[in-house]
Amino acid sequence: MQGSEFDEAEFFRAIAASGARALLIDRRALVALGIPVLTADYDFWLHIHDIAAFNAAVEAQGLLPSRTPEEARGRGRYVLENDERVDVLVARTVPTVDGVRVAFDDVWARRRALELAPGVTLAVPTLDDLILTKRFGGRPKDLEDIRLLEALRKEGP
Amino acid sequence: MKSVPTPSPGALARIRALSERQLSPEEVRAALAVTLGEREEEESRALIRWFRRRYPTPAERFAYARRAYRRWLAAAPPGERS
Repeated sequence: MQGSEFDEAEFFRAIAASGARALLIDRRALVALGIPVLTADYDFWLHIHDIAAFNAAVEAQGLLPSRTPEEARGRGRYVLENDERVDVLVARTVPTVDGVRVAFDDVWARRRALELAPGVTLAVPTLDDLILTKRFGGRPKDLEDIRLLEALRKEGP
Repeated sequence: MKSVPTPSPGALARIRALSERQLSPEEVRAALAVTLGEREEEESRALIRWFRRRYPTPAERFAYARRAYRRWLAAAPPGERS
């Protein structure tokens, strides 16, 4: 993945304009909040009814879905890609590796909006919710990210 | 600046496997129960302060992340460029 021609601002503008309930999660969200971590892709947690709207929004960027909305709902995940890769989680609730059930609607209701450009905002979970989403994976790298999020919390907004 | 040799593809694969292996619930609980050391926490906070000061907006931070990823790709052994 080279990612040289990708218009990131337009990508987020299109998502915001689509009305799709899409939360930026994982490492790109950490970067947005102020943690310098290496990441190759974009990860979203999307409302299960907004798959078609999300896909249509990013189609102009040449991003093509790996599954139909119906298949994606069934599997709980899909990918959009060209030179870029967008991983999309679609589930009403997701359990953490240690058994906490996290509901999209709750996380969405508490979301934070970050301004990317004038008139362009992106939605991210609160710090506490982002930490919960990092516990979906339960990999050593997720635990490292949780440490960084805890450090960010101490730094304040 | 001292130059550091690039790790072999095998070493990188082992690091990746360790970093991305699935932990058990017990391992996660145990790891999260350990408080970050004072020095480690201050290092993390200093890194965050630097990043937020140098790149105050999300757009600037994203641009930095894309540059950093391109640099990493250019320096990575062929097997890691995916």
